Amino acid sequence: MSRYQNRKNFDLEWIERWARRVNEDRRLPVIGRFFTSRFVIGVDETDYLVEVRGGKIQRIAEGLTPNDMGFEFALRAASSAWAKFSMAVPPPLFHDIWAMAHPLHRNLVIAGDQKPFWQNLRALTHMLSLMRAI
Amino acid sequence: MNTHDPIVGRYVYVQCEGKTYRTYYEEHGEGIPLVCLHTAGTDGRQYRHQLCDPDIAANFRVIAFDMPWHGKSIPPADFYLMEDEYKLTTKFYCEFIIAFCRALDLKKPVIMGQSMGGNVCLALALKYESEFSALIALEACDYSPGWWIDPLHHPHIHGGEVVASSVFGLMSPESPDEYRWETWWYYAQGGPGVFKGDLYFYSVDSDFRDQLQKISGRLPIYFLTGEYDFACTPEMTERTAEKVKNSECVIFSGGHFPTSEDPAKFKDIITPVLKKIVQNDPERRGQGAGRANLVELRSPRSAERAPGRRVIDL
Repeated sequence: MSRYQNRKNFDLEWIERWARRVNEDRRLPVIGRFFTSRFVIGVDETDYLVEVRGGKIQRIAEGLTPNDMGFEFALRAASSAWAKFSMAVPPPLFHDIWAMAHPLHRNLVIAGDQKPFWQNLRALTHMLSLMRAI
Repeated sequence: MNTHDPIVGRYVYVQCEGKTYRTYYEEHGEGIPLVCLHTAGTDGRQYRHQLCDPDIAANFRVIAFDMPWHGKSIPPADFYLMEDEYKLTTKFYCEFIIAFCRALDLKKPVIMGQSMGGNVCLALALKYESEFSALIALEACDYSPGWWIDPLHHPHIHGGEVVASSVFGLMSPESPDEYRWETWWYYAQGGPGVFKGDLYFYSVDSDFRDQLQKISGRLPIYFLTGEYDFACTPEMTERTAEKVKNSECVIFSGGHFPTSEDPAKFKDIITPVLKKIVQNDPERRGQGAGRANLVELRSPRSAERAPGRRVIDL
C-alpha cells in the first residue's frame, strides 16, 4: 500500500516518469516494433495523450486540443483504479488492463477504435505494466 | 544419460456425433482414472506437472487428452466445408468426454477440468453423473459471460498474440514468470478461431444458473478457484458451490490456470482433494499407493501547441 499512498496523484510528471521508464525498456522495441499509435490514458477527468512509435513513447500531453485530431483509443479509469493497477503487486481485478475493462467488472472503459488496442495488446500490456516499476 | 518425463502419449480414434476424431492423449500412473480437461484454446500440456508427479501417479492413472481442434488432435476431416465458424457446444463437449472415456474403457473415472473444463463438470453432473466417481472443477462457476468476442478471431489481429495476451491477466502476478509465460505460449499456439469457438461454450451455451438445484448430490464435486481469476471470480464460484449439493469450495491465492501457472502451489491445494477421493475409493488406488506419500520517442511536431498546454517531447 505504501507504494501508492506515497504517490500524490497521477499528474503529467508521473506520466513522464512512466514514459521515460518505458523508453528504457529493451523488450518493447521488439515486441512493440509495429506498435505505432496515439492513445489516451484517462485518469478521473484528465486525459493524457500518449504518442507511440515502434514501441517507444515519443510525446505525452495533458489534455486534448483540436490540433490533436483525436486519438485511436482511450483507456479511462478512476485514479483509485490506476493506483491499484500500478501497485508493485496489484490486487485482483486491478492487475491487468483487460481484467479492469472486462464487461463483468468495468473498472476501466476502452473508448474509440478498439482494433489497435487488441492488435497491440501484448506490447501495450507490457508497457502499462511498467507503471509498477516507477 | 538422457532424462525423460514418465509421460506416454498415444492417439485413439473417438467416435462422436457421427464423426471420427483422431485424439491425442498422454498418461502416467496407475489406479483411479483421473481424466484431465484443458482450458479453452489450449491442450493437455497444461497438466504436464501433474502427469509427472509420482505422488499423484501412485494412486491415479492420470490422463490428459487434447479435444478435437486442439493440440495434437486434428479437426474433423471435412472441417474446411463447415458453413459456420467453429463453436464448441455443451452437447458435443459432454458427449466427447463420455466417448473418450469409453474409447479407453475407463470405469467411473474422476474428471478434473479447469475453466471451460471446470464449467462442463456442471453439465456432466446434470446429465451423466453415473459415469463418474468424482468431479474436480477448477476455476468453475454456473455462468461466465463476456468472452465470446470477435477480437479473438479477426484477420487484422494476430490470433496467437491476442489470445495469449487476453488470458495473461487471468494469472496471479505472484505465480512464477517461467510458468506464466509457458501458459502464454500454449495459448499462442492455438488454431485460428479455436479459442473463440471454445468460448461459445464458456460464455454463451453453458448457463447453469437455473439448473444447479437439479444436481442430485450423488457425485461429489470439488470447486477450487484462484483469487486472481477475473473470468470466474471467487464470488462466482462460491455462489455456484452454495447451490450444488455434496460440493466443497476452496479459494486459494492463485489464478485461472493453477495446473500450469503455479504447479507447486497447485499440488498443495489439490492434495487434500485427491486424498479424499482415494479414501472414498480405496479399492482402486494404485499398487504403488503404499509407498506413496499423497499427503502432502522524434522532432517536435509542426502543429502549434495550445497556449498554456503542457507538452513533453521525449
